[in-house]
Amino acid sequence: MERHFFRELEKLKMTILNMAALTQRALENATTAYMERDEKLAQTVIEGDREINDLEVQVDQYTVRLLALEQPMARDLRTIIGTAKISNELERMADQAVNISQRSQFLCKYPPLEPIAEMEQLIDVSLSMVKKAVTCFVNDDLKAAYEVCRMDDQADQYTLEVLHTLVEYMVKDTPAAERRRIDTRRSIQTIIISRCLERVGDLATNIGEHVAFIIEGINIKHQMND
Amino acid sequence: MAEPNKITAAALNFFYGDFQALEDISIEFKKNRISALIGPSGCGKSTFLRCLNRMNDLIPGSRVGGEVHIDGENIYGPQIDVVHLRRRVGMVFQKPNPFPKTIFDNVAYGLRVNGIKDKKTVAENVEKSLKQAALWDEVKERLNASALGLSGGQQQRLCIARALAVEPEVILMDEPASALDPIATQKIEDLIHELKKYFTIIIVTHNMQQAARVSDITAFFYMGRLIETGETETLFTRPRLQQTEDYITGRFG
Repeated sequence: MERHFFRELEKLKMTILNMAALTQRALENATTAYMERDEKLAQTVIEGDREINDLEVQVDQYTVRLLALEQPMARDLRTIIGTAKISNELERMADQAVNISQRSQFLCKYPPLEPIAEMEQLIDVSLSMVKKAVTCFVNDDLKAAYEVCRMDDQADQYTLEVLHTLVEYMVKDTPAAERRRIDTRRSIQTIIISRCLERVGDLATNIGEHVAFIIEGINIKHQMND
Repeated sequence: MAEPNKITAAALNFFYGDFQALEDISIEFKKNRISALIGPSGCGKSTFLRCLNRMNDLIPGSRVGGEVHIDGENIYGPQIDVVHLRRRVGMVFQKPNPFPKTIFDNVAYGLRVNGIKDKKTVAENVEKSLKQAALWDEVKERLNASALGLSGGQQQRLCIARALAVEPEVILMDEPASALDPIATQKIEDLIHELKKYFTIIIVTHNMQQAARVSDITAFFYMGRLIETGETETLFTRPRLQQTEDYITGRFG
């Protein structure tokens, strides 16, 4: 006979996977909306955030119930605590997707900036970090969890490069004052988007750390810089 | 400085006739710490506990191999006085078993058997033991009433007071709260924490949450073997062995 507790634990995992899928899609859509200047797509991300918030509340409720009623031990205990933390990271990632979408909608009002290569690289690396973070949770893959954490340096580096490029762009000599105002507005919005992506990378790193805790019971936080 | 070992079992084997109930158990218990023995029914944890004050000697056809040292002295050595040993290593059982005597006489019993006659000394000792067992305030007005009139939880604390009266060094507890309601259980658990200051405590429990709550060290027994032992927090959050993990998370068998 299957234990009631295992079914409950499975439900918790399914909820978090559902949340992860929605968050991943939100980030993909938000960055596509930015790249392709798609105001409508950005709007769907903003509207879809509520569903992810609701799932986070559900995970919180499951967590408290399982801890109080089942008194889990060892791996089960770590799974429940780790899952609660992962759900928190996912919810914050989804908020970043909303921020990116709002900035993208603003940018749609102006003519496009020249493409920035580092921005595209930043999008690539942060989206792959999220994908890897979710996969390492699904597959109990400790090695992949460490890899996510290591990728964070790259995301940070690209963010700095975007900042540098756009600051240079803003301070260059532009004869017309009107043109200069537009350049500054577009650049600042784009810098904010790059910061959001950098945060997404941080949150993916946190998920990698939580997965390591679930698998091995070890804490690898704040160790990757050493 | 490392804490001293109070009890050390070395390659301990125990047989009920042809049946080997304990196989090669080696384990150390530190002074003034609480150790919990856990494992499924029939795993040998109670048998092991009873080896520590030679309670198993009373079972016909039983046989012990290996050694148990208390403060470095082998309690299975030829010169050991078993009565003296059991005074040093007290025991509390699953079901409260007060004598059909007054509350006072229950606690005084061990003292009198040990030849302490002076009334004042006995009275002082009874009060001290009842206080240590967190029972004094509830019974001080009716020390001459029958112990059988106490509630189950009070009876169990009386049995603990009775064990404490002879000033043991080690207290063995075999499922001390399994017959009690949650409130009485909590009192016993709080009491165990308090008693740790004075005694080395080893407790057998079926209730894993209880082991997690009260003990510093947990040892997991299975089929007569000691599978894993370690700090309670570690054992219940990240045990080393899969077998332990399976048992404590209910994935056994």
